Amino acid sequence: MKKVLEARVIRKTFEEGSQRVEVLRGVSLDVTAGEIVSLEGPSGSGKTTLLSIMGCILTPSAGEVHIGGRAISGNDKALRDARRKSIGFVFQQFNLFPALTARENIIYALGIKGHKGAKALIEADRVLDAVGLSDRKNFLPRDLSGGQKQRVAIARALAGSPDVILADEPTANLDSAVGVQILDLFRDLAKSENKGLIIVTHDPKVRRVADRVAGIADGLILPEAHAA
Amino acid sequence: MVSLARKNLLHDRIRFAITLAGVAFAVTLVLVQVGLFLGLLGKATVTIERSNADIWIVGRNTPNIDFGRPIPETLVLRARGVEGVERAENAIVQFLTIQLPNGATENALVYGLEDGTFWNLPWNVEAGRGGGDLNRGFNLVMDRSASRRFGGFEIGDYREISGRGFRIIGRSAQAESFTTTPIVFMGFANAQSLIEQLRERTTYVLVKVAPGHNPEEVAARLRPLFPFNDVHTREQWAAHSRAYWIKSTGLGMSMGVTVFLGILVGVVIVAQTLYTSAVENIRQFGTVKAIGGSNWDIYKILGEQALIAAVFGFLLGAGASYAVRPAMASLHLTVLLTPQFSGVVFVGTVTMCLAAALFSFRRVALIDPALVFRG
Repeated sequence: MKKVLEARVIRKTFEEGSQRVEVLRGVSLDVTAGEIVSLEGPSGSGKTTLLSIMGCILTPSAGEVHIGGRAISGNDKALRDARRKSIGFVFQQFNLFPALTARENIIYALGIKGHKGAKALIEADRVLDAVGLSDRKNFLPRDLSGGQKQRVAIARALAGSPDVILADEPTANLDSAVGVQILDLFRDLAKSENKGLIIVTHDPKVRRVADRVAGIADGLILPEAHAA
Repeated sequence: MVSLARKNLLHDRIRFAITLAGVAFAVTLVLVQVGLFLGLLGKATVTIERSNADIWIVGRNTPNIDFGRPIPETLVLRARGVEGVERAENAIVQFLTIQLPNGATENALVYGLEDGTFWNLPWNVEAGRGGGDLNRGFNLVMDRSASRRFGGFEIGDYREISGRGFRIIGRSAQAESFTTTPIVFMGFANAQSLIEQLRERTTYVLVKVAPGHNPEEVAARLRPLFPFNDVHTREQWAAHSRAYWIKSTGLGMSMGVTVFLGILVGVVIVAQTLYTSAVENIRQFGTVKAIGGSNWDIYKILGEQALIAAVFGFLLGAGASYAVRPAMASLHLTVLLTPQFSGVVFVGTVTMCLAAALFSFRRVALIDPALVFRG
């Protein structure tokens, strides 16, 4: 299977005053098209840092990130281009724009990605239909339930057809039943739209939809046998 | 593309209202204060600008039209011989004492003219007769504004000036002086006879330039002939008079401070509200960056918000300034608002708001998009 996103031997060190903290110590992880990877680990294990690096938000101290087989260089513009074209994000806090309706949230994100006009409108409606929110397109986030907000966030991540979606604790702010619905939606969309999906989570329910589980502790990926 | 800037502004209506109020206040402050200043300065030069005199020959270092200095009346003959001079006549502008019916005395600013009709002084006679009859006896035209200082008057009333009785034959309008001393028009000989030190003297020589001649060139020809006088074109004389009042009264400094304060208020309010908005929306801006937006995308949001605040704040402020003019007029205060001046204030408002937005730029430039992963 084609690897849509690959982190190779990633190291990340943060300097706090005179102290150097090595958060990632040679981590490698990949995801293929249509695959769901659950990345699990305790707080402080480095999973969000790894997600930020794979999402081209942070640059690694050492190692490489490849998207579609191509290495991404560390300059700001290259990282931004990679985020615009190839990666969709889903956040724990949804991070929707509160003044924009569901549809406008997606159209705005599409605008950042370079899609404008009627094309953006059609794409926004397509992804909102895909997440089952056809009847909530013109609702502001404050008028949506937590599950519906997360669906809008997923639709925004899908908009513009990125190769991979990175989700950070997407069920953490949802009740259990809604969390299951969101995970089922992730599974269906990953398969139907052939997207690679990495979910950073503490939620054991994610394993139900994951094709693979990667554990991380103390900045190192654990052997799969331990994680699963 | 959806305007996140506009939607965010309208989403937080109270903050938007405060921003608009701040900009509108600054605009109103500047427009009204500077409008009052320009209105006042307009009075300082209204007789210069309304008269037909293209050139004024004045005593050396005469500071402004109200403070005329005696010069020989025969100088006018010298002016008449110069090429390009169509007509030259003496004129007196002098403060004199007027006796009021109640026994009180007040100062009047007397304009003594040989032919008021030709020189267009007074230019607006709203009742009675005007300049042509000023020399037919002891007649005068008093400006309507005099009623505030001198009390009401009617055509045909008599007033005593420097001990001589004059009949009011007309009432002018718009002839007001910078010092608010009421203006009275009379014949040149009458004015000259009232003042001992003006025997065979005048305070100004008014020159009308012949058609086809340039006042600047004629003034240049006159200057060598008047080595102990100043020769000004109309524009130079008006600017000279204005400059005197601006410098000597501190009005210029006062206006400068007012404009500075207006701009400061506007910048502080806009900068403060945009900065607070930027800080409160930091997660939104982090999201913009996380999904691939650049600092420039966020600068555009803040810039658009500043522009919206500038345009609507200006409209509100300008509306208030124009609306307040009738009330000011009832207090005998002129707020001079011209389209050109309003245009300058509009450009200044936009510049001020965009400059205020710059304070937020540095803050948003430092936003780490990774903050979107924090719970």
